[in-house]
Amino acid sequence: MITVDEKKMEWHQGITIRELLDMLENTQFCAAVRLNGKLVSSPSFDTTKIPDNAVIYILPLIAGG
Amino acid sequence: MAEFTLKEIKSLEYVRPEIEKGYTDHSLHVDLSSKEVKINAIEPKVKEKFIGGKGYDLWFMWNSVSGKTKWNDPENAICIASGPLGGTPGYPGGGKSIVTTISPLTGIPIDSNVGGYFGPYTKFSGFDVLQITGKSDAQIVVLIDGIDSKIKLYEAEGLTDDSYTLSAQLTDYFDKEKPVNISVVSTGSAAKHTELGCLNFTWFDAKRKRVRYKQAGRGGIGTVFAHKNIKAVVARWGSVSMKSNNPADFDAMKNVTKLHAGEINELDPKQNRMALVGTTHLVPIMNDHDCLPVNNFKYGQHPEAHNIGEAVYEHIFDKGFDGCWRGCAVACAHGVKDFVPFTGPYKGQKVFVDGPEYETVAGCGSNLGVFDPFFILEMNFYCDTYGLDTISIGTGIAFVMECFEMGLITKEHTGGMDLSFGNRLNALELLHQMVRGEGFGMIVGKGIRKMKAIFAKDFGADAAIMQDIGMESKGLEFSEYMTKESLAQQGGYGMALKGPQHDEAWLIFLDMVHNFMPTFENKAEALHWFPMFRTWFGLCGLCKLPWNDIVPEDNRQNPEPAKVVKHVGWYADFFSSITGRKVSPDDLIPMSEAVYNFQRLFNLKMGYGTREFDTLPYRAVGPVTVDEYLSRIERYDKDLTENYKVDITGMEIAQKVAVLRKHREARYEQLKDAVYKRRGWTSNGIPTVETVKRLGIDFPDVMELLKANGVE
Repeated sequence: MITVDEKKMEWHQGITIRELLDMLENTQFCAAVRLNGKLVSSPSFDTTKIPDNAVIYILPLIAGG
Repeated sequence: MAEFTLKEIKSLEYVRPEIEKGYTDHSLHVDLSSKEVKINAIEPKVKEKFIGGKGYDLWFMWNSVSGKTKWNDPENAICIASGPLGGTPGYPGGGKSIVTTISPLTGIPIDSNVGGYFGPYTKFSGFDVLQITGKSDAQIVVLIDGIDSKIKLYEAEGLTDDSYTLSAQLTDYFDKEKPVNISVVSTGSAAKHTELGCLNFTWFDAKRKRVRYKQAGRGGIGTVFAHKNIKAVVARWGSVSMKSNNPADFDAMKNVTKLHAGEINELDPKQNRMALVGTTHLVPIMNDHDCLPVNNFKYGQHPEAHNIGEAVYEHIFDKGFDGCWRGCAVACAHGVKDFVPFTGPYKGQKVFVDGPEYETVAGCGSNLGVFDPFFILEMNFYCDTYGLDTISIGTGIAFVMECFEMGLITKEHTGGMDLSFGNRLNALELLHQMVRGEGFGMIVGKGIRKMKAIFAKDFGADAAIMQDIGMESKGLEFSEYMTKESLAQQGGYGMALKGPQHDEAWLIFLDMVHNFMPTFENKAEALHWFPMFRTWFGLCGLCKLPWNDIVPEDNRQNPEPAKVVKHVGWYADFFSSITGRKVSPDDLIPMSEAVYNFQRLFNLKMGYGTREFDTLPYRAVGPVTVDEYLSRIERYDKDLTENYKVDITGMEIAQKVAVLRKHREARYEQLKDAVYKRRGWTSNGIPTVETVKRLGIDFPDVMELLKANGVE
């Protein structure tokens, strides 16, 4: 089980951030997430695997300074 | 602490105008030449059209300067205003000041949006806007004392040039018992030797029992301040509450404040964590997306960038509340205590550093090829202390370093200094030279545009290559984002009124990462809406960060998530509740449009403001050099073959660089056409008669200006 934006979701071995975002609605503007407190940016979404019990926050659209 | 004297030379007692619905409806004018102090009523039609903040600043400047006024002429004005919503405790970002003057770098109005308590305190003291003109023979301190209802001018002797110490001394001097009542505006001693001077605006941090700082950094406002011989401008005011603005609908104002602050308190810890890390979260994100400037914007990424991002600064920042306005929930103005510089007059002493923010990290770190968080702290500290803009300093020294590595300048020109990328000690030495008024630092302190001319004329350097790599437009140094792969952001910088600062439009991710605006018309629409809406914050005395750096959890369900529509609605409610002027979200853009177009016309009045000045160095558009092309060869080859349908078979890299350049530069010109059309401007970038009439800024002198420029 993982927590995404404070909602529980099923976890499976090997799931990547990209696969997770594809399962959610309206994530086309997501450029970064926090995975267990650490920033992960979109170029790494395909290769970053989510561990079980992870806590994930989808960051807002990056808006600059 | 050195002794100083303040000799009172003028004192004006006044009846403090009461605040009504966010406004005092009065302006304060100080002429430093004649020592005249005047208080004037602000006409209702000015209030209706220019709203406040930057709008008021520009209106009073317009009436102070002629088209021939230079930055160092006495009639050049420094204007400072908050806005009708500024000074609301608890509303996130609700205490900003906007400063304008004719810039020594650009010759046109520069505007800078800054935290600290000065703007709200000046308003509560009775004045929606402060205008300072003239030039004093002696060093002057101006006091706006709203508690005792007095304006005083002092001749100062013996005050330090060090902006940090000066602010602390004056805070202590003017209200030793309640230092929180004081906000000081000052610059540092490098401002008088350079054209990159900034202003430091203070607030008193009661918990840490020290004066804190935010900077009005851009465009050399501090240089104008120093040239006028102003040592400091001090505002003194007492208690502040949610009723201080005397809002039209207190309950509605309280409600929207609670909603916005509550949301930030709940969501910031889950999103960008700005209350912990400020804007340093942007460093790794920009780096990962190839947008962090490295080595004078040559590259957008570096493997050591993680050393200067949020993961490091989170542990260096001093913990505690860091709002630059009272009760701001974003609270992003972090600092570092007990930092010990390894160079300069503070070498070996413990100091407090206010910052760094993203721009300083990128400008004075990665863009110089340095990935040492403590070096960045030292650059940050000395820039603030000496009164220098960290952005122009970072971008300027990056340009110098690339010129040095290319052999355009040598040790013979730099006074023996090796200024290769990564040379930390010599980068710091340039700052110390600026404050001493000596050496090669004096040339660097003139800014990139003048450096290019000096290097070409005096050192025989190649002017064409310097034009390509010197990251300035309109004379202002670029802020710290890579734009090569975002045409929309190229427009966001190239067509920004004051020069390439990202506060008008930040569209890199929407454009480059998400491909949300594929057509020229899409980009033009964005380059209309976003600059207009961002302008609105400067009219009202607000910070833009709470708008779109923390967003509602359901924001991504909105068809236009970048606009953060829910927050736009809150801002309309906030404006209505304070001013009593009922507005809807759709009304906010036309408010800004009038002031935005007026500023464009102001540029025209000063001899600029047309298409030829909305240019970019090619480094902002594409790869200048062969090795730059090679570093991203797949990307550029793909652009040539897929987007421009070029057969690259058998092409040398240099040839590819040239062909790509031709296409990308043409594309930028097409973007200009689309944006000008959307903004209601001629193809030469001048607002049309129809536009100025629609916006109600068809004043007689505006119409004369248009006619003189062939627009009838």
